[in-house]
Amino acid sequence: MVESTSRAVVGVFTYMDDALEAVKNVKAANLDWRMYSPVPRHEIEEVTFPQKSPVRLVSFCCALTGCICGWSLAILCSLDWPMRTSAKNIASIPAFFVPGYEWTILFGGLGTLFAIFAYCKIPSVVRAAGYDPRFSHDKFGVVVACSAGQVADVSKRLKTAGADEVDVRDSL
Amino acid sequence: MEEKHDSKKEAPVTYAEVNDTILKMLEPPGTGWYLLLFTCLFFLAIGASCWFYQMWSGFGESGKSHPIGWGTYITNFVFWVGIAHSGTLISAVLYLFRAAFRQPIYRLAEAMTVFAVMTAGLFPIIHLGRPWYALWLMPYPNQRALWPNFRSPLLWDVFAVSTYFTISATFFIVGLIPDIAAARDRATTRFRKTLYGVTSLGWRNSHVQWKHYTAAYLIFAAFATPLVVSVHSVVSWDFAMSIVPGWHATIFPPYFVAGAIFSGVAMVVTLIIPLRKAFKLERLITPFHFDAMSKLILMTSGVVTYSYITEFYTAWFSNNPFERFQFWFRPFGEFWIAFWGMTFCNCIFPQLLWVKSLRTNIPFLFVLSIFINIGMWLERFNIIFQSLTREFIPAAWGGYNFSWVEVGITVGAFGWFGMWMTLFIKFFPSVAIVEIKEILPPPVRREGHGHGHEHAAVGAVH
Repeated sequence: MVESTSRAVVGVFTYMDDALEAVKNVKAANLDWRMYSPVPRHEIEEVTFPQKSPVRLVSFCCALTGCICGWSLAILCSLDWPMRTSAKNIASIPAFFVPGYEWTILFGGLGTLFAIFAYCKIPSVVRAAGYDPRFSHDKFGVVVACSAGQVADVSKRLKTAGADEVDVRDSL
Repeated sequence: MEEKHDSKKEAPVTYAEVNDTILKMLEPPGTGWYLLLFTCLFFLAIGASCWFYQMWSGFGESGKSHPIGWGTYITNFVFWVGIAHSGTLISAVLYLFRAAFRQPIYRLAEAMTVFAVMTAGLFPIIHLGRPWYALWLMPYPNQRALWPNFRSPLLWDVFAVSTYFTISATFFIVGLIPDIAAARDRATTRFRKTLYGVTSLGWRNSHVQWKHYTAAYLIFAAFATPLVVSVHSVVSWDFAMSIVPGWHATIFPPYFVAGAIFSGVAMVVTLIIPLRKAFKLERLITPFHFDAMSKLILMTSGVVTYSYITEFYTAWFSNNPFERFQFWFRPFGEFWIAFWGMTFCNCIFPQLLWVKSLRTNIPFLFVLSIFINIGMWLERFNIIFQSLTREFIPAAWGGYNFSWVEVGITVGAFGWFGMWMTLFIKFFPSVAIVEIKEILPPPVRREGHGHGHEHAAVGAVH
């Protein structure tokens, strides 16, 4: 990806549509790119990452595991220490709904958290390629990884799309 | 003094202004903040001292005695869990419904949720008398080969409250990450750079991160939403599963949930009014938000009032003499003032919100929100104390002597909650940066490039 090449060309954009135009442009040229934006927006997703996120699958699997574990915990503990109360069954299914329900949510939530960590690659101590503090403020950024010979072409593409400034950085 | 806002005369809010306004709140604190923090710490010290005194001298110091085994501590537990509730409603449920008024207030509501659950969680432990045995509530393998009773609502509470705290805290922290990254990118001092550098976890706003983040955030909201219903329902079953007159009612779960949202929104109003004034957030938190919160208060007040009436009706209709007596005792018995105080604060006073001008009258809303919180504490008092003082046989009836220890611990709980809130508003963004930007129109050069779904929400911030 971006880190393995020798140059990173950073385009800073004021307008979202300009940045998206730049992304379309570098995508068409089959270049290695990354976009930064101060806010998530559907328009950006549609251009940059139209596929579905796998996070939901991880969440579902973890929630299912939690459901099974919650019910199992209540049933197996009750069977291990059989204490009959008010003529109820030792394994009282309606009463055990709460542990099953709560652990479904607990495991699902924690699974989602780990999915964020895994897919967003956080926590991270590595500097991101071409990141600029303005990208968390009000600017959009498109970073393109390329060889030294491609820098002029990539810079031109970004400027044509409407970049306010284009910066060339060493390989990151 | 009704607040009016003419959006036509003011320039629209920009992304940069959102960052600047909110991150300005994190600048070095003034004397007022230190004064507030030390006041909270002082109250906390009172509470901690009382708790240690109670542990040292014995549980008799708490004032609890036959027939009232669940006294102030359980009242406080239910009160604080209720306060926590609306944070999840505002952050998760209203997120799923895309309610435009939630963005500027939800972060504070979420913080309130997490800190209120941390406060609520202390009370069952304090109530144990010997808090070092609290771990016996957990189902863990032990040398006595014992397991807790999974049919008990008290154990359900352990599952419900611990899950609620974990998910609320996770949802809260995940929501904070991009905003902390914005604070990191602007930090100037070494301490702040380190603090935000570590807590932002290396977040960089890349398109891949946003894609997974937004998908996960939606799932978190979906997981947190059933908790809004389940937590206070489970808390209500602590009472409703028993046979005590005044407790044994099937209306308790919805009644408790509505009451929790009612008190929680009131607490959000109590907190947000001074915060808005102190940090000059008038352009982000507008009369539109207060109007929406007032309508929510008015609606939940209606549900709570209906529940009170239903309790009386079912007691009468059941023809059960114990139930009938309990609901005669509440308004006309020993603690009548608590009942009528509750009725005034929760049912009568909020009806003034039908007047449109009062829904955006900030001083009025501040006073009303405090009255509602007092009223909701009294509601829990009525349920717990009044029911226990008059159970089935007159020989078992009794009264209650409040002790200075439990009053001190109650005050300490406010200090504990206030301390966390005070620290939070100065060290982390207490208004959501990214989510406010989401409802603003994006900066575009060519018309028609944005999807335009923000137009419905743009009235939320001017």
